[in-house]
Amino acid sequence: MAVASDSTPEAPPKGPAKGWAQRGGALSLAQRFLTLREGSIIVVTLVAFLYFALSTDKFLTSGSLKALLPYFAPFAIMAAGEVFVMINAEIDLSVGAVYLFTPFIFYKLNANVGLPLIPAMIGALIVAGLVGLFNGLVVSVVGISSFVTTLGTLFTLSGLTLIISHATQVTTPGTSVVKVGTFAQIFGGGTYSELFWAIGIAIILQLVLSFTRWGVYTVAVGGNRVGAAEAGVRTKLVLTRNFVLCAALAGFVGIIEAVRAATTTPDPSGANVILFQAISAAVIGGTLLQGGSGTVIGAFIGAIFLGVLQDGLNIKGVSANYFYFYLGIAILIAMAFNTYVQRVRVGSGRG
Amino acid sequence: MADVSVPQERIVGPQTADDDVLRVEHVKKSFGPISALRDINLHLRKGEVLGLLGDNGAGKSTLIKILCGFHKPDSGSMWLKGDTYAPKSVLDARRHGIDTVYQDLALVDQLTVYQNMFLFREKVKRPIPFLANHIMKKETRKALEETGINIPRIDVPVARLSGGQRQAIAVARTISGDADVILLDEPLAAMGAKEGALILDLIARLKAEGRVSMIMILHNYIHVFQACDRVSLIQDGVIAFDRPTAETSVEELNEIVVEEYRRARQAAIAEGERAARAESNGA
Repeated sequence: MAVASDSTPEAPPKGPAKGWAQRGGALSLAQRFLTLREGSIIVVTLVAFLYFALSTDKFLTSGSLKALLPYFAPFAIMAAGEVFVMINAEIDLSVGAVYLFTPFIFYKLNANVGLPLIPAMIGALIVAGLVGLFNGLVVSVVGISSFVTTLGTLFTLSGLTLIISHATQVTTPGTSVVKVGTFAQIFGGGTYSELFWAIGIAIILQLVLSFTRWGVYTVAVGGNRVGAAEAGVRTKLVLTRNFVLCAALAGFVGIIEAVRAATTTPDPSGANVILFQAISAAVIGGTLLQGGSGTVIGAFIGAIFLGVLQDGLNIKGVSANYFYFYLGIAILIAMAFNTYVQRVRVGSGRG
Repeated sequence: MADVSVPQERIVGPQTADDDVLRVEHVKKSFGPISALRDINLHLRKGEVLGLLGDNGAGKSTLIKILCGFHKPDSGSMWLKGDTYAPKSVLDARRHGIDTVYQDLALVDQLTVYQNMFLFREKVKRPIPFLANHIMKKETRKALEETGINIPRIDVPVARLSGGQRQAIAVARTISGDADVILLDEPLAAMGAKEGALILDLIARLKAEGRVSMIMILHNYIHVFQACDRVSLIQDGVIAFDRPTAETSVEELNEIVVEEYRRARQAAIAEGERAARAESNGA
């Protein structure tokens, strides 16, 4: 039998292959949806949303939904970068520390060096990118595991932040308590600013992941690093630029969160919570730690789930202790489900 | 005590033909104290299929990896289509027209058939470099059709395919490029008889076209006589035998391998006796 020669990719294959396609078509719509990488997390998020909407009358108010935004938008942006690193079968633990460190560089460049706001921010983002470059080169060229490397950068940068800030908080440049200026409006201070950044960044990065060579090479390096190298892919370059992307996004979130709060606070433990929430969003959203698989959209929805959970529990007046309890269970269920889905999606027909 | 006489080792010296596309002379390669290739002389004629036989550890894969630019030889010379050939990398070798089907196939399970077919050769749109998936799918279908391989769907991850189909994709990917020298590292490894026949068919068809020359590492003597014009036998880092398949037989190849075992064993015994003598002299 010849390969189906129809020009439309959707056309059913001819001949004996038809049976295969029919079996595929017989899959119920629901099962197909659930075996989408994002299907399960969409369902879980909707269930959580409905639960809070029905069990309290305060959840579905605009005030509550606005309060939800800062609980998810920063994680959605950081998780987007983490997804690229995790598809590479690596992990970046330093994002929390970069998040903490970058706004202080922004402050120093503006207040001490005297750069205007935008150049100071670009300078700070370049410094964040350099941290990613360091992580990427140590992992790809020196060959130290990313877990160990970024654990090192995590502590180094957390310490450095405390040293350069003298462990005191400062007023974020471009912000004031009385009035939210244009710069602050755009970069985190406006009510929907972080939401727009999160949506814009998620869309662009999902396009990069799905429709560009960068995306294909990211999957290839995570799925079969030796094979990708044999095919000619410059695996070290792919790894390094994903670490740079991840660190730059973490730095950006650090700045817009500092602008939103109007103060820049050197709080390493808070930064570590941010790190784990960003990784949680990616993992709940279907990104596998073993690499080769994951989506930015999934991580985005994973971040929404975290936001709904946190906001909902706040409104219900549940103790903050329960948040981590539920979060833990959610991660375990998501992992179990994703592993199952992955098996259904990919590994079945291997002879 | 009489010395055990050790027969001379077989080493094929440099050989040439007028229509050589690739020539290898006195190539040596060591990894630390282990010398993987001691003296390799090899030539490949245009349109020829050369079978490379040899035991595990004889140096077959090292030789392939030198030819494809993955390793650099310690010494020796290579020529490709008349010019000196010293590839700096796999990419450099590919630019010179040498491409490889690796033993591990270099396929990414999570990527689809067409993504694997175009891995690192992706076609993109202009001005924004988005992947031109439509064109790649079309060309993949065409390439697979030409090779006669049955892959029902090209938009599924290759993890779903059988070993033979995966192998076929790896071969189709390499031959649909513009390489004119193709190296195949055990293309029939871990494959059923039916799937193996599929690949041998594909290679026979390719040979009939006469465009490419191939070096194929094989384990099975029968396959060598089915698919190859000439056979070279690597033993312990040297080419020990080189002859057109029409002028030799499974029996002869077998005899040479057995002879080498006998020779190596006698050499080991002789070495042992020398050591024992040295010890008794010293005492």
